[in-house]
Amino acid sequence: MADDLQVIDVLDARVKRRGERRDFFKSAIGAAAVGAGMMAAGRPAFAQSVTDADVLNFALNLEYLEAQFYSYAATGMGLPANMLDGTGTQGGVVGGTKVNFTDPVVSAYAQEIAKDEVAHVAFLRSALGGAKVAQPAIDVGGTDPNGAFSTAARAAGLVGPGVAFNPYASDENFLLGAFIFEDVGVTAYKGAAPLITNKTYLEAAAGILAVEAYHAAIVRTTLYGKGIATPSLRTAADLISNARDSLDGSSDDDQGISPVGGLGGTGSNIVPLDANGLAYSRTTGQVLNIVYLNKNAVGMGGFFPAGVNGLIKTSANNA
Amino acid sequence: MIEQTKALALIEATEARRADRRRFLTMAGGGAAALGGLALLSGCGGDNGSSSSMPPSTPTPTPAPTPTPTAVTDVDILNFALNLEYLEAQFYSYAVTGASLPANQLTGSGVQGGVTGGRAVPFSDPVVQQYAREIAQDETAHVAFLRSAIASAGGQAVAQPAINIDGGMAGAFTAAARAAGVIGPADTFDPYASDENFLLGAFIFEDVGVTAYKGAAPLITNKTYLEAAAGILAAEAYHAGLVRTVLYRKGIASPTLKLIENAGKISDVRDAVDGPDDLDQGIASPDGGVTSNIVPTDANGLAFSRNTGQVLNIVYLSKSMLSSGGFFPAGVNGTLRVSAAS
Repeated sequence: MADDLQVIDVLDARVKRRGERRDFFKSAIGAAAVGAGMMAAGRPAFAQSVTDADVLNFALNLEYLEAQFYSYAATGMGLPANMLDGTGTQGGVVGGTKVNFTDPVVSAYAQEIAKDEVAHVAFLRSALGGAKVAQPAIDVGGTDPNGAFSTAARAAGLVGPGVAFNPYASDENFLLGAFIFEDVGVTAYKGAAPLITNKTYLEAAAGILAVEAYHAAIVRTTLYGKGIATPSLRTAADLISNARDSLDGSSDDDQGISPVGGLGGTGSNIVPLDANGLAYSRTTGQVLNIVYLNKNAVGMGGFFPAGVNGLIKTSANNA
Repeated sequence: MIEQTKALALIEATEARRADRRRFLTMAGGGAAALGGLALLSGCGGDNGSSSSMPPSTPTPTPAPTPTPTAVTDVDILNFALNLEYLEAQFYSYAVTGASLPANQLTGSGVQGGVTGGRAVPFSDPVVQQYAREIAQDETAHVAFLRSAIASAGGQAVAQPAINIDGGMAGAFTAAARAAGVIGPADTFDPYASDENFLLGAFIFEDVGVTAYKGAAPLITNKTYLEAAAGILAAEAYHAGLVRTVLYRKGIASPTLKLIENAGKISDVRDAVDGPDDLDQGIASPDGGVTSNIVPTDANGLAFSRNTGQVLNIVYLSKSMLSSGGFFPAGVNGTLRVSAAS
């Protein structure tokens, strides 16, 4: 959905980000000891006008996206029509196709994750009741060279101009497609946790956060394991991580599956954490930078061609 | 550390739990779709985290407030977590390097204890070795971070309590493995003996960490600590996902290792000691089957919660109300130190 100019912007930003990341790791050596000092520095204050329902609806948009992708990949079909209605403009899905899995273990993982993501949609819709947003327009197609997956893959350098990236074409492509989303879900729920005022919602959100991290670990562990025999798979995951990092601003809050800090060799980085051993946070604006595939402040794009529904719908300005 | 009678009691509890679980699964079939509205969420707020028994209800705009114990401070909770991180960090540190955490990471309030057991695993799969290194690094970082965070919150970090991570006859791992039926009642379970044993040893802890941090999240009042705890929760879930994924993959490839079956037994024994709610799942569905269950979730797709007493049931290896046992032979340090009467 992004035009060529935007893709070039993303690519330029990626090169810039590599430099920033190098600088970051240079200065971060020994930073673990800083510990709580970093915590005390805190994060920018959030607008007081954001309600719990706004935050949960923001999450629901992301769950629609994940659930549609995994449902198509695992079953060849999208979510049932009775799980899509709500406030805002209901949109259609540029859908995908059932992956013809060759590894039964990867097939089992896809089935399991699809079930969890559909349960998250049902749970959030139920929790929000009449306040729930409708599914916005979603692009999880695999054949359009200008579709969201292709644009994301091109920004990461995985495919060239005019070439589609089809996450339904193989086990490997499916894992890379899944990789685009999973860690983002973790950072989104972690970033949203302090915004939630009701303790019951908070614990439920923590439960979804944990599940997204389990999912991310499945995908990362499997990519890493297969990457031993097929190094390009590992490289591709690292490039996707860099592309995400290039979209969401100057902070380094993303890591590939190869070791950070130049360990090299066969080292792993299954768990993306800061120097204190904590997962990263993203603001809602940063999350939207990634799913809109745009580092500017915009209201739509990428996987959400008409934007997400609800009050929180504008990406951060990282230009 | 566990006498024979206690191990037998655990085994009996495990069998009772299997029956409970079967009943639960029978009743819970299709339950997600039948439940409605905010009442569902309210059901998650209790100490036991079980939402599936909540009756259907009309959605209302304002959820019921969750009562929070007022006597427990953020420092108490962070210190409770620090005890668990000492245990995990020492296990992985020994498994990877054969050595303890540095002495300057073990001091604090309460009685400082030593570590019994632990040695370097002679890894045969370099990938498993690399994963062990990575997790050891993360858990060591969690110890350092929590010690620092507690100090900055105006509290005093607890010292490392006595920890038993021994792989011999008197080790807590052996007691846990006997109770689970992973080994016979007179056999020894050594988590440092092989890649497979290491993974099963890691499996004993990882999901427990996830449920502990999730259960503690609503008790934390300070938003900064809350977000940090969410960051550790995520890290533990990544670890658990990693361990479960590797166990499942190896279990499918080499059925004779019985990794899927044994992970299911360990899950059952955890479930047996922490009360009547079903808060734990093995790595296949059903236990011992071939369909993957890497992610342990309830019918709503949410991870489970455990309260501090339930977490202590597992690390003390007892369903009774106790203040020491199992992996913590002298109990944990801090104010939250008594397991639940389950």
